[in-house]
Amino acid sequence: MLDRVLNAYTEAIYDTDRDRAFQVVHDALAEGVSPEDIVFEIVSPSLEMMVKAISESDTANLAQHFLASQIGADITEEMMARFRQAPRMAGSVVIGTSQGDFHGLGKRIVAGCLKAAVIEVIDLGTNVPPERFVDEAVSRDAQVIAVSSMMVHTARSESGCLGVRRILRERRLEDRIKVVVGGAPYRFDPELYRIVQADAWAANGIAAGEIIARLIEEVQS
Amino acid sequence: MTTAVQRLADTAAGKMADRIPVFCNLLDQGARELGLPLNEYYSRGEYVAEGQLRLQKKYGYDNVWCLFYVGKEAELFGCRKIIFAEDGPPNVGEMILETYDDVYRLQVPEDVTSHPAFEETRKCLDILKREVGGKRPICAYVTASMTLPAILMGMENWLALLLSGPLDVRDELLEKCSEFFRKQVAALRNAGADIILYSNPFGSVDFLPMRMFEMLSLPWMERDLKPVGADGVVYYCGGARLIPVIDRVIERTGIGAYYLSPLESVAAGKRAIEGRALCAGVINDIRMIDWSPQEVREEVKRILAEGMPGGRFMFGTVVMPWSIPDANIRAMLEAAFEFGRLQ
Repeated sequence: MLDRVLNAYTEAIYDTDRDRAFQVVHDALAEGVSPEDIVFEIVSPSLEMMVKAISESDTANLAQHFLASQIGADITEEMMARFRQAPRMAGSVVIGTSQGDFHGLGKRIVAGCLKAAVIEVIDLGTNVPPERFVDEAVSRDAQVIAVSSMMVHTARSESGCLGVRRILRERRLEDRIKVVVGGAPYRFDPELYRIVQADAWAANGIAAGEIIARLIEEVQS
Repeated sequence: MTTAVQRLADTAAGKMADRIPVFCNLLDQGARELGLPLNEYYSRGEYVAEGQLRLQKKYGYDNVWCLFYVGKEAELFGCRKIIFAEDGPPNVGEMILETYDDVYRLQVPEDVTSHPAFEETRKCLDILKREVGGKRPICAYVTASMTLPAILMGMENWLALLLSGPLDVRDELLEKCSEFFRKQVAALRNAGADIILYSNPFGSVDFLPMRMFEMLSLPWMERDLKPVGADGVVYYCGGARLIPVIDRVIERTGIGAYYLSPLESVAAGKRAIEGRALCAGVINDIRMIDWSPQEVREEVKRILAEGMPGGRFMFGTVVMPWSIPDANIRAMLEAAFEFGRLQ
C-alpha cells in the first residue's frame, strides 16, 4: 500500500498538482497510514526519487522543485504535529542569500526540502552579511551554513561565502561548521564552489537537501 | 564594406556574409569606461549610450544595447527602489505586487513613451540611432508576459500563483503584462531599436513542465507577439535551455532567431532549428572569469565549429560579468572574428 501511495504522491508532484498531492496524503491517512510513515516512507523517498531522476535525466524543472519542496515541508509540518513522540531533529542549518543578493527562491526550495527531511532550518532571509551567518550558526549550534547566490558578483564577493570561510577560519570553527553553496552561477561553473572555498555545492534545491544531510552527518560523526 | 546590420540581415536570410555576426553583451562595463559608479551611470540615457558606443569601438563587435537593467521595466510600473551594487547588476528592491488585490490595482501605463521612466531609454536610443543607426544592430530587452510577474511580485510568489493560485488573478496579471509588453515593443521600435531580445525564462522547460509550457507559455507568447509581429525578435530564456521548445515556438510565433543557453549543445540547437531560423551559439561567460585567454579561444573555436556548418549562425554572450579580464574579452572576440570568417 505504501508503494501505491508513494507512486501517486510522486506523480502528483511531477504534474505540479498541489491539491492532488495533499489529497493522496489525506486519503492515505484515512486508510490508516501513520503520520510517521507519511513523512519517512512517502515524502522523503519521493524527494530522493526526484534527486535520482534529476541526476539521471536532468528533466525535472524549477516548478517541480518548488512544489516538491513546499508541499514536502507543509505535509511534514502537518504530520509532525500528529507524531506519537516529538521527532528528534536530524540537525540544524543556517540558510540565507549572500550579502547584496535579494533572490530568495533557491533558498526557499532548499529550506522546504530540509524541513521535509526533519532538519531544523534557521532562515536568515536575503542579503545576509557573513558575520551574521556565523554568529547565528554558533548560537543555534548549527552544523551547516548554506549560502545561496543568484548573481555571480554576490557569489564571488568577499562578503559572501569567502567571508563566511574567513570568519570560520579565524574563529577555528571549520571542524564544527560546514559551508554549502548553491544558485545559478554554480550551475554555470561547477568549479566555482572551490574558488569561494565552500565545502560543497548543489546543482538544485532538491539535491541540496541530500548534500546538506550528508554534511550534517559528517560533522556529527 | 559590409555593415553589421547588413551582416546580420544576410546571415538571418541564409545568405553568405563576410563573417558570422558577433554579439557581445557588455552592460555594466560601460560605467567603468566612463569612470562612473553604476547608479550614476544608469541614471542618464546619455551615459548608457556613450558607454555602449565606447565599448563597441574598443572591442569591435557588432551590436550596441539600449538596456539599463532589468528592473527598469518594474520602474515603468511604479517601482521606486532599485538597489545598486559596485560590481554587478542592480536588484529590484521593492516588489510592487504584495497581495493579489494589488494585481487588480496594477496600472499599465497608458503611453509608455510619455512615462518619466522611459525618458532616459528614449534619450539613449536617440543617441545610438544618431551615431550608429542603420549600421549596427541596436538591441533592446523586453521581458515576456509569462516572466515579467517575477520582477513585480518576486519569483517565489509568481511560481506560487502560477502553480496553485487563483486562476482569475493569474490571468488578470498575464493580460496586463502582455499589454505592457506590446506597448513597450512598439515604443522601443519607434524610438530606434532594431532587435528585441524577448526574454522568457518561463518559456523554458528548465522552469516549467512541457504541459504547462503548452498550456500557458505558448498561448501567452502568441498574445505578446501576434499584434506586434516577430520581426527582429530573438527568443532568449535568460540562460535557461530552449532547444526542447524551439520547434513549437517557430510553429506558433514565427520568431526567426534563437539564443541558446551556454549549457546547450550548439549542434543540437542547429538540428532543432533545421535551417528555419537564425541560431546563436552562446559562450559560458561566467567561466570566462577564470579561464585563460587560450582556453577562451579554444572554447570559441569549438562553438563556431559546431554552429557554422549550414549557415544561419551567429556567436554571442549572455550578460558578461563585470570581473571578466579584459584579455579574455579580447581573446574571445579575436577568435570569433578569426574562426567566424566566411569570405
